[in-house]
Amino acid sequence: MAVQEPRQAAVEARAGVVHETAPAAGEAIQQSSLWQDAWRRYVRNKAAVAAAVVFILIVLYAFLIPGFWIIPGIWTDWIGNVDPYDVNFAVANEGPSAAHPFGTDQFGRDLFARAALGGQVSIEIGFAATIVILVVAIFYGGISGFVGGALDNVMMRFLDALYGLPFLPFAIITLAIVGTVNIVTMVIALSIVSWFTDARVVRGQVMTLKQNDYVRAAHAVGARWYRILGRHLIPNTLGILIISMFLSLPGVVLGEAFISFIGLGINPPDASWGSMANEGREAYRTHPITIVVPSLFIAAIVLCANFVADGLRDALDPRTRET
Amino acid sequence: MATYIIRRVIWTIPVILLVILLIFSLMKQIGGNPFRQTERAVPAQIQANLERKYNLNKPWYAQYGYYVKDVFTYDLGPSMRLRNRTVNQIVQEHFPVSLKLAILAVAWGLLIGLPAGILSALKPNTLFDYGGQLFSNIGFALPNFFVATLLIYYLAVRNDFFPTNGWPTDFWDFNDKRIILPSFALGLFFMAYIARLVRGTMLETMQQDYVRTAKAKGLRWRRVVMRHVLRNSLIPVVTAVGPLIGLVITGTFVIEIIFSIPGIGRYFVTAVGARDFSVVMGITVLAALVVILANLVVDILYGFLDPRTREARS
Amino acid sequence: MRKNSWLLLVAALLAVLALGVVGCGGDDDDGDGGAAQATGEEEGGEPAAVQEITMAWGAEPPSLDPGLATDTTSANVILNIMDPLVVLDENLEPQPNLAESWEENEDGSVITYKLRQDGKWTNGDPVTANDFVYSWKRTLSPELAADYAYQLYGIKGALEYNSCEKNCEKLADKVGVRAVDDYTLEVTLTSPQPWFVGQSAHHSFLAVHQATVEQFGEQWTEPQNIVTNGPFQLEAWEHEASIDLVKWPEWRNADEVDLERVNGRIIVDGTTRVQAFEANEVQALDGSGLPPAEMSRLKELDEYELYEYLGTYYYGFNIKNITDVNQRRAMSLAVDRQTIIDNIAQADQVPATGMTPAGIRGFEDINPDSPWTPASGDLEQAQQLMDQVQNPKTDINLFHNNAPGHREIAVAVQDMWSELGINTTIRAQEWAQYLEFLGPPPSDQVDVYRLGWIYDFADAINGLELWTCDSGNNNTNFCNEEFDGLIDEARKTPDDAERFQLYAQAEDIMFGEDGEMPILPIYFYTLPNLEDTCIKDTFYIGALNSLDLTDVTVQGECA
Repeated sequence: MAVQEPRQAAVEARAGVVHETAPAAGEAIQQSSLWQDAWRRYVRNKAAVAAAVVFILIVLYAFLIPGFWIIPGIWTDWIGNVDPYDVNFAVANEGPSAAHPFGTDQFGRDLFARAALGGQVSIEIGFAATIVILVVAIFYGGISGFVGGALDNVMMRFLDALYGLPFLPFAIITLAIVGTVNIVTMVIALSIVSWFTDARVVRGQVMTLKQNDYVRAAHAVGARWYRILGRHLIPNTLGILIISMFLSLPGVVLGEAFISFIGLGINPPDASWGSMANEGREAYRTHPITIVVPSLFIAAIVLCANFVADGLRDALDPRTRET
Repeated sequence: MATYIIRRVIWTIPVILLVILLIFSLMKQIGGNPFRQTERAVPAQIQANLERKYNLNKPWYAQYGYYVKDVFTYDLGPSMRLRNRTVNQIVQEHFPVSLKLAILAVAWGLLIGLPAGILSALKPNTLFDYGGQLFSNIGFALPNFFVATLLIYYLAVRNDFFPTNGWPTDFWDFNDKRIILPSFALGLFFMAYIARLVRGTMLETMQQDYVRTAKAKGLRWRRVVMRHVLRNSLIPVVTAVGPLIGLVITGTFVIEIIFSIPGIGRYFVTAVGARDFSVVMGITVLAALVVILANLVVDILYGFLDPRTREARS
Repeated sequence: MRKNSWLLLVAALLAVLALGVVGCGGDDDDGDGGAAQATGEEEGGEPAAVQEITMAWGAEPPSLDPGLATDTTSANVILNIMDPLVVLDENLEPQPNLAESWEENEDGSVITYKLRQDGKWTNGDPVTANDFVYSWKRTLSPELAADYAYQLYGIKGALEYNSCEKNCEKLADKVGVRAVDDYTLEVTLTSPQPWFVGQSAHHSFLAVHQATVEQFGEQWTEPQNIVTNGPFQLEAWEHEASIDLVKWPEWRNADEVDLERVNGRIIVDGTTRVQAFEANEVQALDGSGLPPAEMSRLKELDEYELYEYLGTYYYGFNIKNITDVNQRRAMSLAVDRQTIIDNIAQADQVPATGMTPAGIRGFEDINPDSPWTPASGDLEQAQQLMDQVQNPKTDINLFHNNAPGHREIAVAVQDMWSELGINTTIRAQEWAQYLEFLGPPPSDQVDVYRLGWIYDFADAINGLELWTCDSGNNNTNFCNEEFDGLIDEARKTPDDAERFQLYAQAEDIMFGEDGEMPILPIYFYTLPNLEDTCIKDTFYIGALNSLDLTDVTVQGECA
């Protein structure tokens, strides 16, 4: 389509699609400028940028310090040369020092490396759970919104029922059912009752976009459904989904921390920030750093995720004015 | 309006049945023998007797049927672990404790979060605003067990301002000092959330054309705020409070364990560990009911507050 | 707003960091606000005016019914509100209590207790021998399905009655306990059992008030219904919250009891208990344990007290999975028990050198002093032995129940076994599921499991009979006929010296030079506790974790 219909232009303007230059006849229209636009807006928001930077730093800390998969650990293998699993009572419960920037825990293991390892687990669980939530939400909400009609009705009613399922009790019951607690089961437990709102959102988006003239036109012209999905539905919902991801992350990380805190968490010698905090609480009077470090990391991740989500929301929604 | 309410209420019934079915099916999957409490094996005969007593030898749909009937007649059965107590008794004794804790936490949230958010929105970019936002961001991010640990150490152990643990047995006792620290620790997250939310919605509302018009027309700012801004900004807050109450009620167990509060959350954790099916089911179903009811109430309230929804939803 | 909100983020992060520093600031040198500055002068001896204390109980008692109670908290409360026949002194020897005397017949298989005539129930009824007959038979009744019914299996006909499936009334009559007259209780045993009288101090042997039980059924233990006969009365029981006891002024020896009132707070979390103690909200803990992480600090306090505790903490092998005895011996040698005790458990436990703990009579003779359990481990020898193993099992599942302390020990042992090339996976499970898993027979996933055995009474047989072939507590698949034979014979040997020899031989089969090592004993328990200086002198927890509140007197001012 070389020339835009006036109505289409109005719709796109509302949706925030901005065209840089008027397209020449026959030239393809640049759809991606939504993202460029958003990126520019995001970058202008210093808080969001700072939050994203800190977030990335924490992730880097968690994965590079002790090494991950085939990547060797900066701290464990090179600089500090410590084994975070090595039990050595002679150096137990020490304060921060050059050899151990965060000190050691009750087993004499380096806290700097262990906090990073715990971070790996917490972050992996956090991201995996949010992704699972999104995938389930996209499927459920997408189908419900796309098909519409009676099926949509039934699915939404079912969803209403599921809303009543309380999050943490269900996570606990799920873990009890599967018996073992590892990253996979924890992810399942945390995501199993957390996807409802997102499914609703996706459904809403899909239904709105179904009404979009561009989509209906494309459909009338005979475009295949996956093309419609790919070109219209997904790019427009993706923004919201990414925001949703960063909004769910705190809930998942805190949920995992609470579950680990009551002792239902990851098995040793692995640890997550939550299980470290649990052990640290006992030692608060004698060696407080063991609870402070994981708690602060949890707080920092949650804080940054929130700011990033805010920033993304502002960036992707052009209707928010600056005061 | 009435039809709206009635329809909403009627819809909750199949919802409740479905929820019970879901919880029930999940519970059936948990392995473990609830009757074995010590290292000694339970003799086969006794095991059979106990299973018969709790209907565990019937097919699952029969058990489900019994259970639904029990829920609606409010007879949730005896506890499998503590033979002297029934689930009803347990719920009656401990649920009000958690409820009170949750309500107090919500009260803290509203008491501090609402004014903080409102004032923040009315005086944006001032020191107060920054302070308020700082507080709410931190309150949201800090895990409550950390906050609780600090509070207990500094305010209860090192200085004797508050007791370290416990909870008054009388539901209506609001003078006991023991209620303060735990509800504050639990409510911190809530305070932060409400403050942020209120600030956001108020700022957004104040951008609306009709508000700016009112201001431009010369109406007294105070009047504008009270009449229009507040009412419309509080609607999203009301919507949020419903599910949040649900979250708070089911998230009390950490605080209950730390402060040794005899609430239903802590009991739930013990019951899951002990595979006490009747108790776990009873509590989960109850929690679900509370959440559903809270959502129902909120929905109805929302219907009152925002006339647009009534038409849109029916 | 947006422009400056990055300042906000920075400020938020800084504030979070600041909180971290504050959080770290809270440390021990400024002394524990409460406990230490208690009452400086403790020239004790002077009973205080107000004999009232608050203590912390470590768990909600699942039941205060002597027939159904299985945990120590229930036992301790019950033993103070009821009147046992005998009590154990500091040497664990039985002393007259409600029974003013007892006699054995010639071969020791019939014991006759003579009851005092001034025992009373709180509703005025006298305590008679019939109460005991009723109660013991009730505990053994198949309908009650009492977990601790086995405690009474020493009585003739008890086992048969308890395992009865139908028409049980006839068997009930055949149980060897009868009331000769109102104050004479005659007990016929299956064989001479020198430990029986001491065993009857256990709470399973208490009497319950028949009319009350029959009237209220399962609710008879609620404070408004309960009828007791002991020095204290159950005044209030708020479930999961508190248990309050008051002195019963009409108890037969009420003038010997100083305490007027014992308020009990139920605090399940160990750290919270310690906090409550240090904030002076409770004057004593009930011995349910102190968090290992705090031990190094708490040991230095005046209020710290360490009691003996008859129990053995051990790791059991599934010998169907770890088949080579040399591997089991090697794994035992690799464990540095002293290090575990010094750094993790931290309550001066005793490294275990056999099953029977120090403190049991005859320990010096019974203890095999196993060559496979050196206190500090012997890694070299362990590695040598390990090399001799043909097909060593190098991937081990180590199970433990999800309670404080076990995980840390498992982590340490995991590290120690890694020196043998063994890769250990630690699996924690909730108690109920855990017991199911262990069977017996244990699930085949189980290679090593953790358990502790706390002795019910002070004779070695209580622990050794666990390892017979058909014991319901033998989760190791260990079955040795010679061992079983020794245990059987020991049951028929009333002479202590002879019996201790038999025990020694049994221990040798398990842990000796040629021992099969079905288990890896780690340490013998101790019981650390915190008690305010105002009651420390008289507050005493016996080696079977029994707390007798009638001995406690408040001296001086409590903090």
